[in-house]
Amino acid sequence: MKPANHFIADMPRRDFLQASLKGGVALAASPSLMASLLSAMEGGAAAAKLDPDPQMLNRIIRAALQKGGDFAEVYVENRIARDILLEESKVKQAVFGISRGAGVRVIAGDKTGYAYTDEISEDKLKRAAEVASYVARGSKPSAPVALQKASRPSFVSVTVPLQDVADARRVEIMQRADQAALSHDPRIRMASISYYDEIRGRTIANSEGLLLNDELPLLFFIVQTLGVGANTRHMGRERLSMHAGFEMFDRVKPEEVARACARESIAMLAAEDCPAGKMDIVMQNGWGGVLVHEAVGHPLEADNIARQIGVFTGKMGQKVASDIFTMVDDGSIPNARGTTDFDDEGTPMRRNVLIEKGVLKLFMTDFLSARQLKMARTGNGRRESFRNMPIPRMTNTFIDNGRDKPEDILASTPKGIYVQSLSGGSVNPTTGMFNFTCREAYLIENGKKTRPVKGATLIGSCLDIISNIDAVGNDLDFGPGICGKGQNAEVNAGQPTVRIRGINVGGTRA
Amino acid sequence: MDYKSLAGQLVQTCLKKGADSAEIFIQTGRQLRIEVRNGDIETVQEAASQGIGFRIFAGGRMAFASCNDFSDAATASAIDSAVRFAQQTTADPNNVLPDDKGNTPVADLYDEGIGRVVMERKIELAQTVERLALKDSRITKSAGSRYAEGEAEIFLANSHGLSKGYKSSSCSLGVSVVAEKGAQKSSGNDSCSRRFFADLKKPDEIAAKAARKAYEMIDPRMVKTQRAAVIFDTDVAGALLGGILAAVNGERVLQGASFLGTRLNQKIASPLLTIVDDGTRVKGPASRPFDGEGVPTQKRLIVDQGVLKGFMYNTIIARRAGVKTTGNASRGGFTDVPGIGPHNFYIAAGANSREDIIAATQKGLLLTEVTGYGINPVNGDFSGGASGFWIEGGKIAFPVKGLTIAGRADEILNALDMMGNDLDLNRATAAPTFRIPEMQIGGE
Repeated sequence: MKPANHFIADMPRRDFLQASLKGGVALAASPSLMASLLSAMEGGAAAAKLDPDPQMLNRIIRAALQKGGDFAEVYVENRIARDILLEESKVKQAVFGISRGAGVRVIAGDKTGYAYTDEISEDKLKRAAEVASYVARGSKPSAPVALQKASRPSFVSVTVPLQDVADARRVEIMQRADQAALSHDPRIRMASISYYDEIRGRTIANSEGLLLNDELPLLFFIVQTLGVGANTRHMGRERLSMHAGFEMFDRVKPEEVARACARESIAMLAAEDCPAGKMDIVMQNGWGGVLVHEAVGHPLEADNIARQIGVFTGKMGQKVASDIFTMVDDGSIPNARGTTDFDDEGTPMRRNVLIEKGVLKLFMTDFLSARQLKMARTGNGRRESFRNMPIPRMTNTFIDNGRDKPEDILASTPKGIYVQSLSGGSVNPTTGMFNFTCREAYLIENGKKTRPVKGATLIGSCLDIISNIDAVGNDLDFGPGICGKGQNAEVNAGQPTVRIRGINVGGTRA
Repeated sequence: MDYKSLAGQLVQTCLKKGADSAEIFIQTGRQLRIEVRNGDIETVQEAASQGIGFRIFAGGRMAFASCNDFSDAATASAIDSAVRFAQQTTADPNNVLPDDKGNTPVADLYDEGIGRVVMERKIELAQTVERLALKDSRITKSAGSRYAEGEAEIFLANSHGLSKGYKSSSCSLGVSVVAEKGAQKSSGNDSCSRRFFADLKKPDEIAAKAARKAYEMIDPRMVKTQRAAVIFDTDVAGALLGGILAAVNGERVLQGASFLGTRLNQKIASPLLTIVDDGTRVKGPASRPFDGEGVPTQKRLIVDQGVLKGFMYNTIIARRAGVKTTGNASRGGFTDVPGIGPHNFYIAAGANSREDIIAATQKGLLLTEVTGYGINPVNGDFSGGASGFWIEGGKIAFPVKGLTIAGRADEILNALDMMGNDLDLNRATAAPTFRIPEMQIGGE
C-alpha cells in the first residue's frame, strides 16, 4: 500500500482498478427495463430512493456531530452503468451494473472520519455516522444548520437521454466503428471497441445546511486497433468521452474515431528506434495536456500544499513559469468529460486560472484544504463513488491559448521530437518528477516532422518543464482520460501545440 | 448470511428466468484505513461492503450484471437485465462455465484475529512507524503513515454444480517521508503487507527503509547518455514482469497482440530466467484455492531456464485455443467479468548475492525506481524513466535521477547475466535483484 504516484491514463487501467476491493458498478438497461428496474428496486427497498428524505438526512448529520466535530456530510449515490466490449468483431461482453450507497464524513479540526454503507437505510446511515465520528471524540460539538434545498446552474445538456437508447443502438455504434477500422487498411487485423455509459445520481447534504441533488450522464467510447506489419505490430488508440446524451455520436461519428485510431496503427508500423537524451519537444494540441496535468496540475492540488509537502508550497503569487504560460482548470466547460454541475461536496463549478502569465494564482481546493489554507473552495472536491471521500481533483485542465501558429512552432524547431499523442504518465507530487509514454511520435528534422519513432518515455521535473515551454500555439484542444490518485476521476486534459526545450527522452539508440 | 444457499438459489433463479447456465459470485468484505500525519490521525475510513456478480449464458451468448443490494427484488432485476443484455452479444460455442468441483487447499489466507486487535493499537502502530521514520535528522517532513486492513469472503456457485468459497485477510503498514536539502526534495516510502497481523514487519524496519530511500537520493547527479549495465533492484520487479505477464495472456496470444505469441517452447531468455505463477503458496499475497470462476489454482512454470513453457488461460479462452484452462481466471471484484491474470507471479531466485552483482559491475545503473509502462506486450519495446545509483568500479558512487532506460524485450531477456538470491515472496509480483549487462541509458 505504497501511496501510489498520481497517474493518468487514456483508458481504464484494469490492473489499477483491481487493486482494491471496490465496486463502481457498470450497469445498463434498455429504456423499459430501466424503468422497471428502478421501480422494482424501489419497491424492494423503499429507503433506497434517489431523493432521500431531508428530515432523515438532518437526523444523520446530527448523529454524526454528536461526539463533536465541526462539519458533517452525507453523500448518497445511485449509479446505473453499461459496459460493452466488441472485439475480434464479436460482442464479447455486456456488463450491466447497479451500485447505490451512501457515505458519511465527519471533520474535526484537521481530522477526517469516513464510513460508507451499501444499504441506504436510516439504521445503516446512523451506524456509518457513528463510525465516522470516531475522529471527533473529545472535540467541541457544533450544531448543524437545518437543510435547505439548493440549486445550481447546469453545464450538462442532454438531447437524447441514455435512458431512451435501446441496447441494439449502442451495439450498432460499435459495429460501425469496427467496420470502419477494419476497412481502413488490410494491415488492421483486429479492432477492440469499448463502450461505457452511466447515469450517476447524487444527493449531497451537509451541516452547513446545503442540500443538493442531480443526475449526470457520462459516455466513454474507446477504439483500439492492431496494425500488423512485416516484423512489428502497433496497437493504436482513440477515445471520445463527454457528459452528454447519445447525441455525442452525432457530433463525432464512431467511424471518425475508428479511422483516426487505424491511421495511428498503420503510421507507427514504420517506426524506427528513437534517439535517447535531452531533446526539444513539440507537442501536438489536445491530449498532450496530460503532461501539465501531471507535472503541474497535481502539485497545484491543495491537499499537499496544506500538508506543506507540495513543490508549490509557499510560492503563491510568485513567478513559477515563463510569461507565455497560463494554466486553467475549468469544470464548467459545457458537456466536457471533466465537467459536472457542482463538485461532490456541492461547490459550483467555475473557471479557475491557476497560473496566469507565469504567476501562481490559485490552488485547487476541496472543503478541507480550503479551510486549512483559508482559501476559497474552487469546485475541485471530487470522489470516485460513495466508497471514497472527496479530495482535491482536477476537472478539465489545460494550458490556455497563446499567440504562436502551430506550423510556425514546428518550422522554427530544427531538431527534436514531434509528439503527436501520449498514452499516459505519472508524477511524484513531492519531488515533481514526472514521466510520460509517447504513443505516436516523429523526428523533427530541419523544422519538419519526418520519420515515426517508437514509443519513448519523456521525463523531467515539473518546475523545469514550465520554465522551458517557449512557444504556445493558438489551437487549444482536449482529450479524455482517467486520473488516479488513490481513487479515479474522469478528466479532460488539453493544450494548444507547445514546444518544450530540453526534455529527457528515453530512446533505444544514442 | 448463508452465502452457499443464497448462491444456490440465485443460480436456480437465473435458470428459471431463461439462462441455460449461470454463475453467481458473491463478495463481502470489510475495510479499515487509518492515516496519520505528524503524530495525529488524519483520516479514519471504515466500511463493510458487499456485492453479487451474475454471469448468465443463453444459446451461447453471455452477459453479466452486478448489484450491491441483496434483496430479492434487486437480484431478480439484475438477473433480468443480464438475460436481456445477452441478446446483444455474439453467440460463441466456447462460452462455457467450468465444471471442476475441486479446491486446491491453501493454508493461512485468513487471519481471524485482525478484527479483534483494538483500533487504538492500529493507530499507535501508524504513529510509531511515522515517529521512527522522522528520527533521522536528514528527514524533514512526514508525508504520512498508514495502517490498512481488509477481510473478504468470496462464494462462487454455478449451474454445473460448483459451490465453493473462502475467506482471506490482509493488513499493511507503511510510511512516506521527505528529506530536504536547500531547495531539493526527495521522498521515500516503504510498506509491508501481510495476510496475518502478527507477520507484519516491525515499525523500525519499515521506518528505517523509508528514511533511507529519501535521504539516499539527495544530491543526485546526471550522467551522459550511454550504454551500460543495469541492475534491477527487487523494488522494480514489476518493470520487467508486467509486460511479460500481459504477453503470456492467452487471449492476447490468440489475437496476435503478444510479442511472445509464437514462441511457445522456444528459448526467449537467458537460462538464468525462470518465471513461476503460483496460486498455492501458504500465506501468499495472491494465493487462492480457486480462480475467479472456480477452477482450482496450481503452481506453474511460465518460463523454465529461458524457455517459454506456457500461456495463461481461463475456461473460455482455453477452449478457443484448444487447450485446458490453467486456473488463471481473474476477477477484480463482484462487478467484473472474469478476465485472465496471475496469482503469485515471480522470477525464481538465482545464485548471486546482491553485493556480488554490484561488485561485479564496472560501470552501470542500480535501478531502484522505474516509471512508465514497462515492456510493451504487443511488440516487446521497453522504455521508462529511471532513478537509482550510479555504479563505478563495483561500488555505488552517487545517486542518479531523471534518466531513461530503453531496449527490446528479446535483447534484454537474453542478455540477462546475473540472477540474485534475494527473492521476497511476500509481494504478489516479485523478482530477485538481476543484471542486464548493457542497456541504452538516456542522460545529458
